Amino acid sequence: MAKDVKPTRKNLMAIEDRIELSERGHDTLEQKRDGLIMEFMDILEQAQDVRSELDANYETAQETLNMARAMEGDVAVRGAAAALKEHPEITTQSKNIMGVVVPQIESSRVKKSLDQRGYGLLGSSARIDEAADAYEELLETIILAAEVETAMKKMLTEIETTKRRVNALEFKLLPDLNENKEYIEQKLEEQEREEIFRLKKIKNKKEKEAAEAEAEAEAEEATATASADD
Amino acid sequence: MSQEIAVVGSPDFTTGFRLAGVRKFETVADDDKPEQLDEAVSGVFEDNDVGIVVMHDDDLEHLSRDVRETAETSIEPTLVTLGGSAGASGLRDQIKRAIGIDLMEED
Repeated sequence: MAKDVKPTRKNLMAIEDRIELSERGHDTLEQKRDGLIMEFMDILEQAQDVRSELDANYETAQETLNMARAMEGDVAVRGAAAALKEHPEITTQSKNIMGVVVPQIESSRVKKSLDQRGYGLLGSSARIDEAADAYEELLETIILAAEVETAMKKMLTEIETTKRRVNALEFKLLPDLNENKEYIEQKLEEQEREEIFRLKKIKNKKEKEAAEAEAEAEAEEATATASADD
Repeated sequence: MSQEIAVVGSPDFTTGFRLAGVRKFETVADDDKPEQLDEAVSGVFEDNDVGIVVMHDDDLEHLSRDVRETAETSIEPTLVTLGGSAGASGLRDQIKRAIGIDLMEED
């Protein structure tokens, strides 16, 4: 509210400083927002590619698995699945894109060779191997998708906050500050006018007083000379 | 810090991932999904060793509102959904909100 501030010169100076700072911050944040959106567009494209790859991989993986189950039976497939010893692990590192920390996921032991799988070669058929292969591939794409999508989520949150800040500065803080500044300026001007008026009044009064005193003195002088004449 | 991948879904869905070596999985039979899926998903999301959660897109429908929102917006662990046409549904909404345009429109 504009009326909350005291119309003093000191406050005016403080508000002018704040306006300058806010404007600078607003410009910087605007640039950050635009930069983030540009980075985001790049990632979005990447994400869409990964998504379509993911869907395609999922379909083939499902197909091969269904094939394996149809040919080998559910039990054999489940048995093989339960026998696995090596487990994929992921490690996350972070990367910084314009102040947003995005993860970089690295995986290990996703792709395995036949003898690493642990379900034995004799007991299983090539179809199970194929299904396992397809799912390993799918997992790799999933890891990639997770990385890209996490980055997207983080950047979106950052874009949202930056946008909110820019808008708060542009549509709330700066107008308020400017209103305050104007209010103080007008008040100060009014005070100045009042002061001038007051000075004029005083001057008039003084002049009047001086004139009266002069007239009185003259009158006195006149009476004095008149009495002297007598 | 090394983490693992977790899979949540019907037995059919998780078998394939087990073949690829995924150790953490929650199997919920299709009939029990409305009752049990919520619990399974929240359990997985609370597990600190899990870095990525894989689910089928259709299964998200069975989740209650709260759990679904946590799952969709969670960054660690990240949810990756498979199947379904919408792709990342939560992401799409978020893009619409943050950028102002629907960038993921099918063209």
